Amino acid sequence: MKYVIVGVGVAGIEAAKEIRKKDADGDILMISADAQIHSRCMLHKFIAGERDEKGLDFTELDFFEKYRIHWKSGVRTKKVCPEEKEIILDDGEHVSYDKLLLANGADSFIPPVGDLRKASNVYGLRNLTDAQAIVKEAEGAEEVLVIGSGLVGLDAAYGLLERGKKLTIVEMVEQILPVQLDAHGAAAYQELFEKAGVRFVLGRRASEAVCEEDGRIHKVKLDNGEELACDLVIVAAGVRPAISCLEGSGIDCERGITVDSHMRTSQEDIYAAGDITGRSGIWPNAADQGQIAGRNMCGMEVEYTDTFAIKNTINFFGLVTLCVGRIKPEEGDDIRMKEDRTQYKRIILKDGKVEGVLLQGNIANAGTWQYLIKNQIDVSRIEKDIFDINFADFYHISERGEYMWA
Amino acid sequence: MRRIIVECDKCDGCKNCSAACMQAHRETDGTIYDLDLTDPKNESRNYILKDAQGRYKPLFCRHCDEPECVKSCMSGALTKDPESGHVFYDETRCGSCFMCVMNCPFGVLKPDRVSKSRVIKCDFCVNAGGEPSCVLSCPKKAIHVEEV
Amino acid sequence: MNQCYGCNTCKSADKPLEEFIAGLPLETSHHRVEGQSTKCAFGLQGVCCRLCSNGPCRITPESPRGICGANADTIVTRNLLRAVASGSGCYIHVVENTALNVKNTAKNRGEIKGIGTLNRLADIFGIDEADEHKRAEAVADAVLQDLYLPEYEKMRLTEKLAYTPRYEKWKELGILPGGAKSEVFHGVVKCSTNLNSDPVNMLLDCLKLGISTGIYGLVLTNLLNDIVLGEPEIRFAPVGLRVIDPDYINIMITGHQHSMFTFLQNRLTDEDVKEKARKVGAKGFKLVGCTCVGQDLQLRGVHYTEVFDGHAGNNYTSEAILATGGIDAVISEFNCTLPGIEPICDELKIKQICIDNVAKKANAELKEFDFENRPAVTEEIIDEIVEAYQARRGSVPMNLMKEHGYENTLTGVSEISLKKFLGGNWQPLIDLIVSGDIKGVAGVVGCSNLTAGGHDVLTVDLVKELIAKDIIVLTAGCSSGGIENCGLMTPEAAKYAGPKLRAVCEKLGIPPVLNFGPCLAIGRLEIVATELAEALHVDLPQLPLVLSAAQWLEEQALADGCYGLALGLPLHLGLPPFVSGSKVAVKVLTEDMKKLTGGQVIINADAKDSADILEGIILEKRQGLKI
Repeated sequence: MKYVIVGVGVAGIEAAKEIRKKDADGDILMISADAQIHSRCMLHKFIAGERDEKGLDFTELDFFEKYRIHWKSGVRTKKVCPEEKEIILDDGEHVSYDKLLLANGADSFIPPVGDLRKASNVYGLRNLTDAQAIVKEAEGAEEVLVIGSGLVGLDAAYGLLERGKKLTIVEMVEQILPVQLDAHGAAAYQELFEKAGVRFVLGRRASEAVCEEDGRIHKVKLDNGEELACDLVIVAAGVRPAISCLEGSGIDCERGITVDSHMRTSQEDIYAAGDITGRSGIWPNAADQGQIAGRNMCGMEVEYTDTFAIKNTINFFGLVTLCVGRIKPEEGDDIRMKEDRTQYKRIILKDGKVEGVLLQGNIANAGTWQYLIKNQIDVSRIEKDIFDINFADFYHISERGEYMWA
Repeated sequence: MRRIIVECDKCDGCKNCSAACMQAHRETDGTIYDLDLTDPKNESRNYILKDAQGRYKPLFCRHCDEPECVKSCMSGALTKDPESGHVFYDETRCGSCFMCVMNCPFGVLKPDRVSKSRVIKCDFCVNAGGEPSCVLSCPKKAIHVEEV
Repeated sequence: MNQCYGCNTCKSADKPLEEFIAGLPLETSHHRVEGQSTKCAFGLQGVCCRLCSNGPCRITPESPRGICGANADTIVTRNLLRAVASGSGCYIHVVENTALNVKNTAKNRGEIKGIGTLNRLADIFGIDEADEHKRAEAVADAVLQDLYLPEYEKMRLTEKLAYTPRYEKWKELGILPGGAKSEVFHGVVKCSTNLNSDPVNMLLDCLKLGISTGIYGLVLTNLLNDIVLGEPEIRFAPVGLRVIDPDYINIMITGHQHSMFTFLQNRLTDEDVKEKARKVGAKGFKLVGCTCVGQDLQLRGVHYTEVFDGHAGNNYTSEAILATGGIDAVISEFNCTLPGIEPICDELKIKQICIDNVAKKANAELKEFDFENRPAVTEEIIDEIVEAYQARRGSVPMNLMKEHGYENTLTGVSEISLKKFLGGNWQPLIDLIVSGDIKGVAGVVGCSNLTAGGHDVLTVDLVKELIAKDIIVLTAGCSSGGIENCGLMTPEAAKYAGPKLRAVCEKLGIPPVLNFGPCLAIGRLEIVATELAEALHVDLPQLPLVLSAAQWLEEQALADGCYGLALGLPLHLGLPPFVSGSKVAVKVLTEDMKKLTGGQVIINADAKDSADILEGIILEKRQGLKI
């Protein structure tokens, strides 16, 4: 059996591990544009100079040898041909497969504003190559403009602060981290970034960015007419699944590749996992999808059921936040809040069930919230302050000594 | 694998397991007598929770068969050791994202109190002889190690 | 399977005893050590507070203060002061009863056995009274009057009994005690809920309680006892379980108040009482020594050769003594009467009688000592014991241990008898210290416990280490009982000493460890220290003298220890007194105390390390004296 996995992100790596566990003899070939295995969640540490390329590797030592996996790196997949059961790489090679996993992730989305897509000093932050280019570009740059104040935008800013750059962040919403936090939680991070020297321009969008003669953008004009000088622009406006190589393959796509609960695409023997499906969201889900795809590729029947992905943790300047579930309050919500010197907590309750939790400052032992939210557990019967609910209220132990939810 | 088995009905809430855990993981040399119980750096990896009826429910890392913390680790710091079955944490690899804290369904994990850069996680006392100190310290024998 | 109660008994320095206890069909404290081996860390560090209904509060990094706001320093020192006050109360109870017994004896023109001590005290107190009974009464009254003073009036005898440089130091520190009973009262008030929160203030109170405990509870109890019980004289005596002679009706005595036994002791050798014994088939009555009151009897044994068989063992040997089957009754008047002897007494049909209600045991008959009615009460006690003898002998199996212990143990050492032995003054001892033949003096005192390595393990190991370094060891308390049963108080033990000390011992025919008797005699040992300091014209902290309560057990020991610290002496403890949770308490006790009184606490559970530390201190002090 020949397994081909495109992409060496967490989905691809986890799939490969699972396949090796189930099929000791099969050939596993991994193909990636990335020349170095790296955790995308740690690119800011590379930008900050805290870690080198190797320090971003999230796999075990001697991963490929240990799992007996062939790895062809530095090549992109140009075309997927289900009829021929092969893929064509940008170096012209045709690679055949028995089972194919598409886990080649997503690409940064650069909005079509002015010359952003054209200029040589505009970068997304998605891959190690992006981070490497940013670091190089930053050497000669003084003023850095970051478009977007989501986690990626703030990661980039956090890394570049370490390099002593002057940073301005433009955000079209009136608060930073709008997807993850409420205004109050966001303000705490804004303050910390501002203390570190970052300027935020909120509720504004870039409207003009002209590429000058040197092929670079030196200033960006906002929708209120304000002009922001910049030597380097980082665009953190989200990602788009990397599906361009699927043209003509017959694989159904919407936003990303459409998969069923077994991570199967519309074409036989082709699976997809991770960001390319547009439904993973974050690392643990991508890992889960990769594992499930891997098992199914080995002939097992496993379904991806733990699809809940509205969850995140944030850690900047030692201020940690956990946000799980719904952030925006709705009509009929029962909102509970607690705040003190060291923490801010907010719970959204509806019909006795927890729909959203935001914990800032102290996230110790907070793992139970995700379970409560995604399983829509009724907590109204528990005679406790909502904030004191913990696993003790559902405590059960299996025969093998594992905890179970009662 | 060897697992710490909890019999919650025997727990008296004395927190000796927590003190023993702090002692086993303290940075300085010394005995339980001079363990600094006011130093926030000394943290326990186990907790005595209470349910709504006030009954003690000890919370100890299960070193799960399918550890959610490992699945969520984006740096490779958390790994399940194929030999012992225990989930180990390599502080030097940790990226301090704390997705493991969010993902542990039982709420066992937490960031360290002082630097918020490490995860406080049971290591089965591998560096203190491999017999969990908490188990040795329990006066009620509410926890014991069993091959499962 | 065999008949042993349990095979997990703790270690003992006394190997034959360890084996004996392990083989017993009865449960003893030695069996229970393992079951209690998991100690609550918060209790160990003294950071658990139960002073109010919000508690127990415990200090952790997440909760550095109790609900009331008390931090580790406040909680620890409150707990310590409470313990010290309680311990002081125990000793003050003992001296109060002792003084009352002296007073009553004198009033009834009873026998004055220690005229030398009476005159010495009368002289110190400034009592000029020709009639010896009136003189004794006045001495007892002077003590009692001080004990009953209010807290705000300083006790009058302190200045007369204390070494002047010490008295001045105490005055400077503001720790001269008021009435000793009131000081206990003051102490327990101070550490109650939401009163004092100042750790240093409470630690100073501990020192103050130490002074009243030491001068009154220790020093004066000994001397008052000398008046009515007779002064110690140096002699050799047997020790260990071997002293139990099954041909007699045997009464084990436990406690600290020897003067309560005087009447009974004398009656037991009267012909009519002996006849009662003979009638039931015994040769007569014997007292078997156990705990400190046994040590006291041993110390004065020269006066009681007929009725006293010898000292069998210390507090944690008491169960084994009873388990021999040779004991017919236990008479107790104070600690250390372990609650654990009760089931053994039940099982072996041993009659338990308490003569002081502070130490009433659950299954003992309370026959309170009553000076007025002592003849009648004594007869009742004797008759009940005879009855018990009849009921149990023959039906209860004997499990004697005739080989246990030693035949020729040196005893009877006191500040007077030792000086007499040396020729009437301290010069020979001073010469030996100056020449380095004796490097220094270590008082290894206090209790016996089962946790510092096991029964007497640290104490005996430490003594061996010290004498090997040519440091002479003086003992008092249950530590003595353990050390003597291990043979270190026989002249043959000189072989364990370093070459210089060994030569001294062999020349004088004495062991390298000298036994002053009960824990009360820590007071005697401190008189020796004071007289040495006086002879050298130095203050106590300058002497090459260290104290170790290596296996301290109880609250009384803590009050004793505070006296040692007030005297400015280095005090070694094997286990910390539940204070290590407070940085302030630890710093004050182990460091700042050097500046306050000259004393210091050293905590170390390893015999070799402890001996090295104590030797280091002795060498430092020698250097200070330029010797």
